[in-house]
Amino acid sequence: MKSDEQLMLEYQGGSKPAFAELFERYRSPVYGFFRRRLNNAARAEELAQETFIVILRGSEQYEPTARFRTYMYAIALKQLWTERRKEVREHRLVKLPQEDKFETDPATGLWIRGALEQLDPDYREVLMLREYEQLSYDEIAEVLAVPINTVRSRLSRARGELKALLESQSAKGVSQ
Amino acid sequence: MSRKEHPVWEEELMPYVDGQLDAEAASNIEEHLEECQQCSKRVADTRRLSQQMATWQVEDPSENMGARVFGSAAPKDRSSRRWGWFTNRQSWMYGVAGATAALALIAAGISLLRPPTRDEGTSSATMSWAKTTDNSGPGVAYHYEVQAPSQQGQGQGQQGSLGRQQTEQAKQQRQQRPPGDLAALFEFEQDQNLNAARPPAGPMVIRTANLRILTKEFDSARARIQAIVQQAQGYLDQMTVRGETGLGRYLSATLRLPSDRLDSGLTELRKLGKVLEESQGSSDVTSQYVDLQARLNNARSTEQRLLALQRERTDKLIDVVSVEREISRVREEIERMEAQRKDVFSKTQYATIIVEVSEEYRAEIQPSAPASGTQLRNALIDGYHGALGSVLALAMLILRYGPALLLWLAVLLPVAFLIRRRLRSLIRAN
Repeated sequence: MKSDEQLMLEYQGGSKPAFAELFERYRSPVYGFFRRRLNNAARAEELAQETFIVILRGSEQYEPTARFRTYMYAIALKQLWTERRKEVREHRLVKLPQEDKFETDPATGLWIRGALEQLDPDYREVLMLREYEQLSYDEIAEVLAVPINTVRSRLSRARGELKALLESQSAKGVSQ
Repeated sequence: MSRKEHPVWEEELMPYVDGQLDAEAASNIEEHLEECQQCSKRVADTRRLSQQMATWQVEDPSENMGARVFGSAAPKDRSSRRWGWFTNRQSWMYGVAGATAALALIAAGISLLRPPTRDEGTSSATMSWAKTTDNSGPGVAYHYEVQAPSQQGQGQGQQGSLGRQQTEQAKQQRQQRPPGDLAALFEFEQDQNLNAARPPAGPMVIRTANLRILTKEFDSARARIQAIVQQAQGYLDQMTVRGETGLGRYLSATLRLPSDRLDSGLTELRKLGKVLEESQGSSDVTSQYVDLQARLNNARSTEQRLLALQRERTDKLIDVVSVEREISRVREEIERMEAQRKDVFSKTQYATIIVEVSEEYRAEIQPSAPASGTQLRNALIDGYHGALGSVLALAMLILRYGPALLLWLAVLLPVAFLIRRRLRSLIRAN
């Protein structure tokens, strides 16, 4: 199987099937990236499309020194931050359910989602990039432009806090 | 707990759980885990947490997600490119938008040519400028705002509020429409043009003045200029002071005073000394300003339309790119015109006074002679310089004429010697 970087270079050389393959590889992960971070499924899909369009447009500037995954998620993160700024500006930031309305059934993802929302944004991003996007520590450091030791410490704290939050939610569920 | 007692920090367990360690480091951790229950529990907890997080799954994206992305990659054939504009909805939209903008420009032009009636001036909303402190520009920035004529009598005020209500209603109606509704956009554009095409309340005149003054009290004149500027709530654009030995000092300053305080400022400046020259000028820029404002608003409307088109999410990348390029071009144009408008407005609000102040020169009594020691020292240094100069002059004389002198001596000495011998022999013969 060809690596992402090889496919990207082939696309630079004019091979459209190469990009189609890249798209197939990452359409679900990129969509998942936005879907887990936004409340709107349609907007998540649009932003995923935008991310691929940005990659298409900037394909000439891509250099194989950068890993494709890092490159792609860095673009996706920028799209996400722009979207969040826009949401704040347009006052359409939809708040997630409040703490007392949290889903406490461990079988559903809402339980995790509610707890993640309570984390510090910096910690949450590192944890989500690791757990859902399966990025290595190096890749997370590169995408977020922070030192690798920062990634380690944030990840450790994020996990500690998330564990505590889930335990407290679980205790509430039992008491209710 | 020290590193010696506990060789693995909790933070180091994370890379192990995530498989981010090399084989050796991982085996060290594994050895430690066999002995340390606390760390084993932490590792188990972390793995359980990952499993819990994995329960949050999201649905797959829709199948047509790639349509927009790959719609861009498909090359168009020549025939469709040639006649594609005819069937392309966006081309029509651009055409309609362009035609509307042209009509709006013509309408703005007609309204400019038509002399404004008194009724229009009183019943319509007036445009006023508010000065705010801002870092941009020379310390002041301007914002314009459309205000209802609240100070123009009760009846007119009611008209203004009625107009506002109608505008608000229209705005609400537009907001209820779907976002891609072009009719709403055109209405918005018309409202914008109506507001923008209105001429300012009075003529916009740029006033300038030049003043040349001769003064005996230069220092106080300089301080007085600064005080006049402060008093008039203007600012000192530029000031140069020059002074040369044996001549009076000279000051050149460019003052920017609020236009309505120009006359009082000039009166104060005339008191600085004897006015040698004075001139005043003015330039009416009303039509230029209104034209600029209308063009600016049309460009803003075009930008709004383009932004709406961009939001509509066209299905071809090439269209998206061309819309973005157009937006960028229009934005650049808006910024340029905005800067021009601010500049013109600033010039009309602040008159420019160029004032030149010359000091009346008065010869001063020479200071007392230097001390004897200084005179002796100066004489010694002068003597040294004189001696050195004479030596140098002699050396230069020798070097310059010496060779020629030697040459002539070499030629003339033998001749003189022969003549002398001949004369001696003649004397002896006699």
